[in-house]
This record gives sequence, structure tokens and C-alpha cells, in this order.
Amino acid sequence: MIGRLLEQASRRAESADAAVKNDETVTLVFESGRLKSTAWSQERGVNVRIRANGRLGFAGTTANDPEALFEAALASAAIGDQVDLILPAPSPLQAVRTHSPAAAAASVADLAALGQSLVERLSHDGWQVSATVERSVGTVRVANTRGVEASYDVTAVSLSAEITRVTGDDILMVGDFCAAADLPGEPGVAALAESIRRRVAWAERPAAPPRGELPVLFTPAGTGALFLPLRQACLGKAVLQGISPLGGRIGERAFDPTLTVTDDPWVPGASGSRAVDDEGVPTRRLPLVEGGLVGGFVYDLETAARAGVPATGHARRTTFGKPQAAYSNLVVSPGECSWEDLLSKVADGLVVDDLIGVGQGNVIGGAFSHPVALAYRVVGGEIVGRVKDAAVAGNAYELLGRIAGLGRNVEWRGSLAAPPILLEGVSVTPR
Amino acid sequence: MKNRLRDALNSSRADYTEIRLERSTTSAVTFRGPRLEGATVSTDEGGFVRCLNRGYGWGMASFTSLDDLPAMVARAHELSLAVRLDAPIRLADVPVREADVTLPLGGDVRGIPLDAKKRHLESLNALMLGRDRRVVDTQAAYRDEVVEYWYANSEGTMLFELRPEVTLSAVAVARDQGTIERALESLGRRSGWDAVQHREDQFLAAADRAVALLGAPRVRGGTYPVVLDPKLAGVFVHEAFGHLSEADFVYENPQAREMMTLGRRFGGPHLTIGDDGSAAALRGTLPFDDEGTPTRNTVLIQNGVLVGRLHSRETAAKMQEAPTGNARALSFRHPPIVRMTNTYIASGTGTRDDLFRDIKLGIYACDAQGGQTYLEDFSFTAGHGFMIRDGQLAELVKDVVIAGNLFQTMDRIDRVAGDFQWNEMGGGCGKGGQAPLPVTEGAPHVRLSEALVGGSVA
Repeated sequence: MIGRLLEQASRRAESADAAVKNDETVTLVFESGRLKSTAWSQERGVNVRIRANGRLGFAGTTANDPEALFEAALASAAIGDQVDLILPAPSPLQAVRTHSPAAAAASVADLAALGQSLVERLSHDGWQVSATVERSVGTVRVANTRGVEASYDVTAVSLSAEITRVTGDDILMVGDFCAAADLPGEPGVAALAESIRRRVAWAERPAAPPRGELPVLFTPAGTGALFLPLRQACLGKAVLQGISPLGGRIGERAFDPTLTVTDDPWVPGASGSRAVDDEGVPTRRLPLVEGGLVGGFVYDLETAARAGVPATGHARRTTFGKPQAAYSNLVVSPGECSWEDLLSKVADGLVVDDLIGVGQGNVIGGAFSHPVALAYRVVGGEIVGRVKDAAVAGNAYELLGRIAGLGRNVEWRGSLAAPPILLEGVSVTPR
Repeated sequence: MKNRLRDALNSSRADYTEIRLERSTTSAVTFRGPRLEGATVSTDEGGFVRCLNRGYGWGMASFTSLDDLPAMVARAHELSLAVRLDAPIRLADVPVREADVTLPLGGDVRGIPLDAKKRHLESLNALMLGRDRRVVDTQAAYRDEVVEYWYANSEGTMLFELRPEVTLSAVAVARDQGTIERALESLGRRSGWDAVQHREDQFLAAADRAVALLGAPRVRGGTYPVVLDPKLAGVFVHEAFGHLSEADFVYENPQAREMMTLGRRFGGPHLTIGDDGSAAALRGTLPFDDEGTPTRNTVLIQNGVLVGRLHSRETAAKMQEAPTGNARALSFRHPPIVRMTNTYIASGTGTRDDLFRDIKLGIYACDAQGGQTYLEDFSFTAGHGFMIRDGQLAELVKDVVIAGNLFQTMDRIDRVAGDFQWNEMGGGCGKGGQAPLPVTEGAPHVRLSEALVGGSVA
């Protein structure tokens, strides 16, 4: 289909590119500790972009009808914006592992056994355990009228579990997940179960929330709220629109010198890894923050063309819509502190594992204010119990400007890798 | 298509089989700042099969190639047989129905050229850009969809529906030196081209509010009496209470069932809450849910007493209650799960100003930017707010985030005004990886005697 599309385009348009994604996914859902449903899904989608009379047009479909798709792209281009978009020429690609033959070959029974093992490890009186195992096998093809023709196989395995414990009107929910190209194996399953059990143990007793500007230790899972503003501010489009607080500041100090954040598409088997992006641009490692200095921004082809900078190999395409820049794997470099070192620095404060409402509001500005979903009171360097009725607030840029301690162990969750981070002066308000 | 469905059902060896097929046409136009991001028409088609065998679990298959339908029925049956269950899954009875339903198209969007949609949005976007030099960025989006929808099951139900939907959204970003603020307005209806006409005021309001927020102080964090405007009260009822009333949360959890026992008191006698999938032309409105159950108005709290919950056929059978028509799937890519439709707090008495009157120092929280629930704990973010001082509306404040515990907060609803309205916003609800599902909320002004408002420490 992609060949016919591009052939049409070479006759009736100046240039064109397309991405075709196929995948088959098996999803097993465990409810209340037992396998409840098994689902299989097949998806094939084509997304095409053409440039005709200098104007860009887009179209996407799941139907197998290249002519109709091409006509839709032409109609879109007829009223599209004029852009001097230059598609990439073929170039050598880094070898990046995105596929695991063992994951692709796993049977439904193998996947069920994986889920069963996880559920059994979490089996406990009064805990309701739910879990999901998902495995997808697919291919990605990217091609353009300048001769790019890239294709690669992908596997993705994700395993997630959540326990719910209801005691009177008190509800505790603790969950975690892992995702990668490979099957997690028994050690991976054990680590996932242990990560959930550890948190339930920390939450065993209730603790009164503290009040004030306090030290807060964010677990790797809890760092989401801290890095969301950075994620938005490093998008080339936000910089181009003039709404990024980091725009125009490459090379300037904006964060604590211990902070380094890299977009790394070459991590073997990580869920965001790939050698080529969905516009045919080779991927590369890109420091967003390097030793506290602003390092770079991510661009798709069109945003790069408008900004007059090179594309960075970060375009993502879904079947519908147009290519957009997105991160591959975001890796926060580790520091030197052990977990115990970090905890011992907290005389009175919190460990934050999960917040409610992350992503609402004026994220790019850096200000956040969230009630805690899972947080623990720390007194004299020891976790004393779960804090429920409290909110934490601050400005992510200011707080990351003075990091009090960075953990030495990085944890992966999907496409984010981060160590625990200790911040000082986080505002904590009890309810 | 109906014959293909009948043939596929007849070929199934499963005890119960259901099939959904969808074919949708979508137009989408987006502006970013003064530039057109894109304008395009897309087509999407596919199907979903679900099989159940006595003593076994659910087997499901979804696919984008309709030619594969017979093979997918066989696969779903096999997958069902792969799951042995001790406690069998039962489905509550619903009447067998054959129906063809075309929801009112409200000006069929399929007859409007893409260029006209682009020009319409361009003029609305230009209003934001031209309003104030401090408006440095905008995002304006138009999206419409008409879905041809078929549902059939092995009990004999056979439905065809034409489901329209249209959304319009405006984001204005204002900047003054280092300060950046944004404001959002949106519209979503199960309707068509008529619904997006005369929306100039909403786009201007987004621009004006983003600029006004530049000069507004952050709210001072603490505990206050809070009056929620109807939009935020709607998000509150959805986030804080609605999700807990979804029966899939309680049906297999004895402790949760106890917590949500019918007859339990939730709030005072002035509080009535419900969910109505049969209301007219709202985003959550449909004649049938995605299990073929007719939608209806389900009262959840009647005068402060828990009287109902939202069900699929499976949860209803398990709890020996009636199905409510709340099993919904985002698309053919997903199974139906228990979801809200149009959720509301029923009207009380009095006006907004009556609610302000005896508040010495409080907050009037307006406009929902979003909300999230973590079961009994929730958070929602207001687009903006005002201080209430000595019973009067006072200065604009920003970064108003309200957090609370459901049980406490329901008891703290001390006044419900008589000015009910449905909030026809865009956006949608997320659950179980299915987002954004079109839903609507409605409420009058509602007062909380106290609530935690996030912000800087005093």
C-alpha cells in the first residue's frame, strides 16, 4: 500500500511521506486475583502527508483504500498551510533493539502464567488484586518520495498490577507497572510485586500530615509531576510559540548542577527506543538538561522547518492527525546517594510516591499543587506511616534549581528512567 | 451489513456472542497561533467481538479489517475457552430489541465542505489573536464525527445507530514578561454544524480570561468555604462521587460493597445526584449502551440517601440489581466497561448570591480545567476563581486547586442553588485506558462549608 501511495504522490504532488503501523496485541485481564478475560486485537493504520503547490496535507485511515486516502490528503493540502518542508534523504541508522523473538513467540498460556505468578505473589487477606498482561507484536514502516524506506519490528510487553484494600471508609490503592520489548521474566515479576508490597507496608499505619516548607523525597514513580513542566518546555513547538520558559536559553543554567536529563532513543529494548523516527529522520541522543544547563529541544520536521533548525528525530505519528514531536525515553542521570542516605536527610517531611491531578492546570509555567495519592510521613529519617489528607505545592523549576540529593539507583517505568530525588522547601498543607 | 452480522452470529459456537461494527468519518481542523496546523478528513472502521461460555471467561477480538469478521468470532470463542472460572459470569436480562436509530444530526456535518469548517474556525481563532497584544499563542480546534454503528448479539438484539458528535475548543495563552497564563473554553454536543454557530463569545472569553489571569494573584492555600460554579460542581460530582458509583468498583469487593451499601447517607436532604444517558443531545447521550441495554435516568443519591449505582449486565447480575445502560466502549478497539453518561446534581433552591451571602472569607471557584479521583480522594483544578469577602464577589485569583475526601466533602455540601445547567464542554472521561469518552455533567451552584484549596503556604 505504501508503495502505491508514494507512486501516486510522485505523479500528482511535489513530495510525500507515510508511516504504516501494524500490530497484534493480546491483553489478559485479571480481576480479584483470577484471569477474567482474554482479548486479541489487530490494528493496521496508514498516515500520509503530501506537499502539493507548496501546501501540506494530511490524512489517515484504517481502511484498505490507498486511492481514497490519497484523495483525502490532496483535499487537505488544497486548503493547507504553505511550508518549505524538506523530507530527509536516506542515511545510515544506528542499530537499536526494538524486538524480542521470545516476547513475539510467547503463547497466550505463557502470558497467562506470567500474570498468574504476579497475582500469586500479591495474594494477601483483604487485598483485592487486579493485573493486566499485554503483549503486542508489530511492524513500523516509514517511507518517503526521496527514497527513505525504513522498516522495523517491534515487540512491547507490559505488566501491571494494583491492589485495593478497603477498611471502613479508608481505601488504599497501590499499583505499579513495567513495560519493555522483552518479557520481564520471573525476576522482573518478583521486583514488581515487591515494589507494591513495600509501599503497602509503608502505608500500614496512618500518620498525621506535617505543615510548612519541608523536605520532600520523591520516589522514581513520584517524579512525574516534577518533570512534566520540563517535558512541555522542551517541545520545539512550545519554544517556537514563545511560551516555553526555557526557550532561547540553551547553554544557560536553569537547574541544579547535578541535574542531567537525556532523551535516549537507543536504550536496548526500552519502550520508547527506535533507530528512525516516524518521518524517516535518524534518531539520536539529545541532552535536554546537562549539568543544570539547558541542553536542547525536540523537533519534528515541520516545526523544525518553521523554526529554522534541524529536526531531531522525535516525530511520532498515529494513524490520524499529523506528525508531532514526542520524547523517546527520558533518562534522568543518577546521583550518588543511597535511598537510606536520602531518607536520613529528612528530619521532618514526606516521601511522595503518587499525586492526584498531575497535568491539570498551567503545567508549563512550573507551578503545581496536588493532593497526595500515596505519600508517607518521615520523622528523623524514618518512614512512620501513610499521610492522606495533605497537598504538596511548589514550582518545579525553582525546586529543581536546588536539589538536595539525587539517588544512585535509577528505576525504569515504561519510557521514563529516574532516581529518587530529594527537594527542599516544598510546601505541604494538611487538610 | 446486518446479514453479515447474522451470518457471523450463526457461525458462533459460543454460548453468548456479541458484535459491534463501526465506520466513522471525522473532520478535524486545528489552528496554532495564526497558522493552520492541519485540516483533514479521516475514515476509521473496525469491529469488536466478545464471546462467553458457561464456566469460562470472556474472549474478545478487535480488528480493523471487516473481512475478518467470521475468523474473529472463532478466535473470541477460543479465547473464552482459554479461561476457566469457578464462579460463572452471568449477564442480567435485558429485552431483545431490533431498532434503527438516527440521533438528530443537528445540521449534518457530512454536507459541509472541509474548507467551510476551516474558515469558520479561522475566524473564531482570529478573535482570540486580535483581542490583546498579550495573547501570544492560541490553540483552536474543531472536530466532528458521524459514526455508523451496528450492534448485534446472539440473543437476537440487532441495532443500527447513526451517532453524531461535534466539539470546538479554544485555548488562549497570554504572556507578560515571565508570566504565562492560559484559559480554556470548549463545547461538545451530540449534534452537528448548528451547534458550533454563534460561539464568538466563548473564544473572546478565553482570550480575556488568559489576559486577566496575568495580573491575578495566586490563591493563598488553606481551608475555606467554597462556592462551586455549575461547571466545577459538575466535574466534582463526576470525579468525587460518580466513579465510586460505578458498580465494577464494588461488585467483587465485599468491603467496597459495604462502604457503598444502598440506604447509606451521603450528604444532606438537599442533595440529589443521578446519571441520565437518555437526556437530549448531550455528549453522553445514547439510546442504547454498548451491550444493547436502553439508557435511562438512574438516581444515585435521593435526598441524601444512596439509592442506586451504575451497571453493566455483568455487574447487575452479580449484585442482583437492574442493568442501567452504562456499559460503554470508547470504540471498537475496546470492551464495554461501566461508565458514566450525563451525570448531574439536581437543582435546589436560591441563587448564587444567596450562597455567597453569609460567607465572610471564601472562594468562588469557576470553570473546570480537569479533575482526577483516587477513589475516596479527589482533586479538581478550577480555570479561575474569585475571593468572596463579606458576602460579596471580590478579586480574581488563580491556581485554584480543590482537594478533598469524598465522604467528608459530601457532608460539607451545605447549599445547592436552583440554577441548574448542563455544561456542554468538550474533553471527556478516562478509565481503564479508554479516554476520552464523551460525557457531560450538570449542576447548579453548590456550596461547600469548607474545603482544602491548594496554593502557597500562608
